[in-house]
Amino acid sequence: MAINLLIVDDSSVMRSMIVKALRMSGIDLGAIHQAGNGKEGLDRLDEHGIDLAIVDINMPVMNGEEMIDCMRSRSDTSQIPVIVISTEGSEARIERLKEKGARFIHKPFTPERIRDVINELVGRQNA
Amino acid sequence: MPERLNEILYRVAEEILESLAFLFPVLDEERKKTSNVFVWGASISFVGPFSGRLVILASETILPDLVKNMLGLDAGEEVSLAQQHDALMELLSIVCGNVLPVVAGKKAMFNLDVPKILSSEEYDTLMKKQDPVSQVTLELENGQADFILFIEEGTLSLNSLPLA
Repeated sequence: MAINLLIVDDSSVMRSMIVKALRMSGIDLGAIHQAGNGKEGLDRLDEHGIDLAIVDINMPVMNGEEMIDCMRSRSDTSQIPVIVISTEGSEARIERLKEKGARFIHKPFTPERIRDVINELVGRQNA
Repeated sequence: MPERLNEILYRVAEEILESLAFLFPVLDEERKKTSNVFVWGASISFVGPFSGRLVILASETILPDLVKNMLGLDAGEEVSLAQQHDALMELLSIVCGNVLPVVAGKKAMFNLDVPKILSSEEYDTLMKKQDPVSQVTLELENGQADFILFIEEGTLSLNSLPLA
Protein backbone atom coordinates (compact mmCIF):
# COMPACT_ATOMS: atom_id res chain seq x y z
CA MET A 1 0.00 0.00 0.00
CA ALA A 2 1.35 3.44 -0.96
CA ILE A 3 2.59 5.59 1.92
CA ASN A 4 1.73 9.31 2.04
CA LEU A 5 4.69 11.20 3.44
CA LEU A 6 5.43 14.56 4.98
CA ILE A 7 9.00 15.91 4.87
CA VAL A 8 9.79 18.80 7.20
CA ASP A 9 13.17 20.54 6.86
CA ASP A 10 14.09 24.20 6.46
CA SER A 11 16.52 23.29 3.66
CA SER A 12 14.78 22.79 0.32
CA VAL A 13 17.93 21.07 -0.96
CA MET A 14 17.77 18.58 1.92
CA ARG A 15 14.06 17.98 1.32
CA SER A 16 14.88 17.23 -2.33
CA MET A 17 17.66 14.86 -1.25
CA ILE A 18 15.23 12.99 0.99
CA VAL A 19 12.65 12.78 -1.82
CA LYS A 20 15.33 11.43 -4.16
CA ALA A 21 16.45 8.88 -1.56
CA LEU A 22 12.84 7.79 -1.06
CA ARG A 23 12.33 7.36 -4.81
CA MET A 24 15.50 5.24 -5.00
CA SER A 25 14.44 3.13 -2.02
CA GLY A 26 11.81 1.01 -3.76
CA ILE A 27 9.20 1.91 -1.18
CA ASP A 28 5.64 2.23 -2.51
CA LEU A 29 5.18 6.00 -2.30
CA GLY A 30 1.92 7.91 -2.43
CA ALA A 31 1.80 11.69 -2.11
CA ILE A 32 4.87 13.48 -0.73
CA HIS A 33 4.16 16.75 1.06
CA GLN A 34 6.80 19.21 2.23
CA ALA A 35 7.15 21.91 4.85
CA GLY A 36 9.92 24.31 5.86
CA ASN A 37 9.37 24.32 9.63
CA GLY A 38 7.36 22.63 12.33
CA LYS A 39 4.44 25.05 12.13
CA GLU A 40 4.07 24.47 8.39
CA GLY A 41 4.41 20.77 9.07
CA LEU A 42 1.43 20.84 11.44
CA ASP A 43 -0.53 22.75 8.78
CA ARG A 44 0.24 20.02 6.21
CA LEU A 45 -0.96 17.41 8.72
CA ASP A 46 -4.26 19.28 9.00
CA GLU A 47 -4.61 19.50 5.22
CA HIS A 48 -3.61 16.00 4.15
CA GLY A 49 -3.77 12.40 5.25
CA ILE A 50 -0.19 11.59 6.27
CA ASP A 51 1.07 8.10 7.05
CA LEU A 52 4.63 8.99 8.03
CA ALA A 53 6.48 12.21 8.89
CA ILE A 54 10.20 12.76 8.31
CA VAL A 55 11.34 15.70 10.41
CA ASP A 56 14.49 17.75 10.94
CA ILE A 57 15.19 19.22 14.38
CA ASN A 58 16.87 22.60 13.93
CA MET A 59 14.36 24.79 12.10
CA PRO A 60 13.12 28.35 12.51
CA VAL A 61 9.61 29.26 13.76
CA MET A 62 8.98 25.81 15.29
CA ASN A 63 11.67 23.15 15.64
CA GLY A 64 11.18 19.47 15.02
CA GLU A 65 10.95 18.42 18.66
CA GLU A 66 8.25 21.01 19.32
CA MET A 67 6.37 19.74 16.27
CA ILE A 68 6.57 16.15 17.57
CA ASP A 69 5.29 17.27 20.98
CA CYS A 70 2.30 18.92 19.28
CA MET A 71 1.64 15.81 17.19
CA ARG A 72 1.71 13.58 20.25
CA SER A 73 -0.74 15.83 22.09
CA ARG A 74 -3.41 15.57 19.38
CA SER A 75 -5.57 12.48 19.01
CA ASP A 76 -5.62 12.77 15.19
CA THR A 77 -1.82 12.83 14.84
CA SER A 78 -0.49 11.10 17.96
CA GLN A 79 -0.11 7.75 16.19
CA ILE A 80 1.61 8.97 13.04
CA PRO A 81 5.12 7.46 12.92
CA VAL A 82 7.93 10.00 12.90
CA ILE A 83 11.48 9.66 11.64
CA VAL A 84 13.89 12.38 12.75
CA ILE A 85 16.69 13.06 10.25
CA SER A 86 19.12 15.38 11.95
CA THR A 87 22.74 16.24 12.70
CA GLU A 88 21.92 15.85 16.39
CA GLY A 89 24.81 14.14 18.16
CA SER A 90 23.80 14.24 21.82
CA GLU A 91 22.95 10.79 23.18
CA ALA A 92 20.55 12.33 25.71
CA ARG A 93 18.59 14.26 23.10
CA ILE A 94 18.42 11.28 20.76
CA GLU A 95 17.10 9.17 23.64
CA ARG A 96 14.53 11.85 24.44
CA LEU A 97 13.32 11.80 20.84
CA LYS A 98 13.05 8.02 20.91
CA GLU A 99 10.99 8.27 24.10
CA LYS A 100 8.58 10.44 22.11
CA GLY A 101 8.23 7.56 19.68
CA ALA A 102 10.50 8.88 16.95
CA ARG A 103 13.05 6.88 15.04
CA PHE A 104 16.38 8.61 14.44
CA ILE A 105 18.59 8.82 11.35
CA HIS A 106 21.81 10.81 11.52
CA LYS A 107 22.86 13.19 8.75
CA PRO A 108 24.49 12.48 6.38
CA PHE A 109 22.33 9.49 5.55
CA THR A 110 22.16 6.86 2.84
CA PRO A 111 19.00 5.96 0.87
CA GLU A 112 19.35 2.44 2.25
CA ARG A 113 19.13 3.69 5.82
CA ILE A 114 15.90 5.57 5.13
CA ARG A 115 14.48 2.54 3.31
CA ASP A 116 15.32 0.16 6.17
CA VAL A 117 13.83 2.40 8.86
CA ILE A 118 10.63 3.00 6.88
CA ASN A 119 10.28 -0.71 6.16
CA GLU A 120 10.67 -1.46 9.87
CA LEU A 121 8.00 1.10 10.74
CA VAL A 122 5.61 -0.01 8.02
CA GLY A 123 6.16 -3.64 8.86
CA ARG A 124 5.45 -2.91 12.52
CA GLN A 125 2.24 -1.08 11.62
CA ASN A 126 1.04 -3.90 9.35
CA ALA A 127 1.77 -6.58 11.94
CA MET B 1 45.58 21.63 21.25
CA PRO B 2 44.92 23.71 18.13
CA GLU B 3 46.56 21.00 16.00
CA ARG B 4 44.23 18.35 17.44
CA LEU B 5 41.21 20.56 16.77
CA ASN B 6 42.45 21.21 13.25
CA GLU B 7 42.81 17.48 12.63
CA ILE B 8 39.28 16.82 13.87
CA LEU B 9 37.74 19.67 11.92
CA TYR B 10 39.54 18.69 8.72
CA ARG B 11 38.66 15.00 9.06
CA VAL B 12 34.97 15.63 9.76
CA ALA B 13 34.65 18.23 6.99
CA GLU B 14 36.39 15.90 4.53
CA GLU B 15 34.13 12.96 5.44
CA ILE B 16 30.97 15.07 5.14
CA LEU B 17 31.98 16.59 1.78
CA GLU B 18 32.70 13.14 0.43
CA SER B 19 29.59 11.39 1.72
CA LEU B 20 27.14 14.25 1.20
CA ALA B 21 28.36 15.71 -2.06
CA PHE B 22 31.05 13.43 -3.53
CA LEU B 23 33.57 16.28 -3.33
CA PHE B 24 37.07 15.12 -2.57
CA PRO B 25 40.14 17.13 -1.55
CA VAL B 26 42.71 17.19 -4.34
CA LEU B 27 46.41 17.82 -4.58
CA ASP B 28 47.39 21.35 -5.52
CA GLU B 29 48.49 20.31 -9.02
CA GLU B 30 45.06 18.76 -9.68
CA ARG B 31 43.18 21.97 -8.88
CA LYS B 32 41.86 24.15 -11.65
CA LYS B 33 43.65 27.44 -11.16
CA THR B 34 41.34 30.39 -10.87
CA SER B 35 41.92 33.94 -9.81
CA ASN B 36 39.72 36.55 -8.16
CA VAL B 37 37.13 33.96 -7.23
CA PHE B 38 34.30 35.33 -5.16
CA VAL B 39 33.82 33.64 -1.81
CA TRP B 40 30.51 32.93 -0.07
CA GLY B 41 30.40 32.59 3.70
CA ALA B 42 27.94 31.06 6.11
CA SER B 43 27.85 30.88 9.88
CA ILE B 44 26.15 28.68 12.47
CA SER B 45 26.13 29.42 16.20
CA PHE B 46 25.92 26.86 18.95
CA VAL B 47 25.38 26.91 22.69
CA GLY B 48 26.34 24.12 25.03
CA PRO B 49 29.21 23.07 27.33
CA PHE B 50 31.08 25.62 25.26
CA SER B 51 29.59 28.13 22.88
CA GLY B 52 30.69 29.67 19.65
CA ARG B 53 30.21 29.41 15.95
CA LEU B 54 31.45 27.56 12.93
CA VAL B 55 32.02 29.51 9.74
CA ILE B 56 32.51 28.23 6.20
CA LEU B 57 34.07 30.27 3.41
CA ALA B 58 33.63 28.57 0.05
CA SER B 59 34.72 29.56 -3.44
CA GLU B 60 31.62 30.36 -5.45
CA THR B 61 32.96 27.98 -8.12
CA ILE B 62 32.32 24.92 -5.95
CA LEU B 63 28.74 25.74 -4.99
CA PRO B 64 27.03 24.60 -8.23
CA ASP B 65 28.82 21.23 -7.96
CA LEU B 66 27.78 21.02 -4.31
CA VAL B 67 24.11 21.38 -5.25
CA LYS B 68 24.26 19.13 -8.30
CA ASN B 69 26.03 16.34 -6.44
CA MET B 70 23.69 16.56 -3.45
CA LEU B 71 20.69 16.36 -5.74
CA GLY B 72 22.12 14.00 -8.37
CA LEU B 73 21.61 16.52 -11.17
CA ASP B 74 23.32 16.39 -14.55
CA ALA B 75 26.37 18.60 -15.08
CA GLY B 76 24.56 20.83 -17.57
CA GLU B 77 21.62 21.64 -15.32
CA GLU B 78 21.32 25.14 -13.93
CA VAL B 79 21.05 25.69 -10.20
CA SER B 80 19.89 28.91 -8.59
CA LEU B 81 21.86 31.08 -6.18
CA ALA B 82 19.22 30.31 -3.56
CA GLN B 83 19.90 26.58 -3.96
CA GLN B 84 23.65 27.21 -3.71
CA HIS B 85 23.23 29.17 -0.49
CA ASP B 86 20.86 26.53 0.85
CA ALA B 87 23.36 23.75 0.12
CA LEU B 88 26.22 25.75 1.66
CA MET B 89 24.25 26.29 4.85
CA GLU B 90 23.16 22.67 5.01
CA LEU B 91 26.76 21.51 4.53
CA LEU B 92 27.86 23.81 7.36
CA SER B 93 25.06 22.59 9.62
CA ILE B 94 25.97 18.95 9.06
CA VAL B 95 29.70 19.55 9.63
CA CYS B 96 28.94 21.48 12.83
CA GLY B 97 26.58 18.81 14.11
CA ASN B 98 29.20 16.14 13.50
CA VAL B 99 32.23 18.04 14.82
CA LEU B 100 30.82 19.01 18.22
CA PRO B 101 30.29 15.44 19.57
CA VAL B 102 33.82 14.52 18.46
CA VAL B 103 35.25 17.52 20.30
CA ALA B 104 33.03 17.46 23.41
CA GLY B 105 31.88 13.85 23.63
CA LYS B 106 28.49 12.28 22.85
CA LYS B 107 27.11 13.09 26.29
CA ALA B 108 27.43 16.81 25.63
CA MET B 109 24.25 18.56 24.49
CA PHE B 110 24.43 21.50 22.14
CA ASN B 111 21.71 23.71 20.70
CA LEU B 112 22.51 24.72 17.17
CA ASP B 113 21.05 27.88 15.73
CA VAL B 114 19.74 28.07 12.18
CA PRO B 115 22.65 28.73 9.80
CA LYS B 116 22.81 31.98 7.86
CA ILE B 117 24.76 33.47 4.99
CA LEU B 118 27.52 35.72 6.27
CA SER B 119 28.29 39.04 4.66
CA SER B 120 31.91 40.12 4.23
CA GLU B 121 31.33 42.90 6.76
CA GLU B 122 30.03 40.42 9.33
CA TYR B 123 33.03 38.17 8.72
CA ASP B 124 35.49 41.05 9.07
CA THR B 125 33.82 42.08 12.33
CA LEU B 126 34.01 38.51 13.63
CA MET B 127 37.70 38.18 12.80
CA LYS B 128 38.48 41.52 14.46
CA LYS B 129 36.58 40.52 17.62
CA GLN B 130 38.09 37.13 18.16
CA ASP B 131 40.78 34.71 17.04
CA PRO B 132 39.53 31.32 15.82
CA VAL B 133 40.54 28.22 17.78
CA SER B 134 40.71 26.15 14.62
CA GLN B 135 40.94 26.86 10.91
CA VAL B 136 41.32 24.35 8.07
CA THR B 137 41.26 24.54 4.29
CA LEU B 138 39.98 21.80 2.02
CA GLU B 139 41.33 22.20 -1.51
CA LEU B 140 38.77 20.90 -3.99
CA GLU B 141 38.98 20.59 -7.75
CA ASN B 142 37.12 23.81 -8.52
CA GLY B 143 38.02 25.88 -5.48
CA GLN B 144 38.38 25.63 -1.77
CA ALA B 145 36.35 25.52 1.41
CA ASP B 146 37.65 26.97 4.67
CA PHE B 147 36.13 25.92 7.98
CA ILE B 148 36.78 28.26 10.89
CA LEU B 149 35.80 27.47 14.48
CA PHE B 150 35.31 30.22 17.04
CA ILE B 151 34.73 29.42 20.70
CA GLU B 152 33.60 32.13 23.08
CA GLU B 153 36.21 32.98 25.66
CA GLY B 154 35.47 31.74 29.11
CA THR B 155 32.82 29.21 28.08
CA LEU B 156 35.08 26.25 28.67
CA SER B 157 38.71 25.36 28.99
CA LEU B 158 39.84 23.64 25.83
CA ASN B 159 42.25 21.56 27.90
CA SER B 160 39.37 19.81 29.62
CA LEU B 161 37.74 18.57 26.43
CA PRO B 162 37.67 14.79 25.89
CA LEU B 163 38.54 15.24 22.18
CA ALA B 164 37.36 11.80 21.08
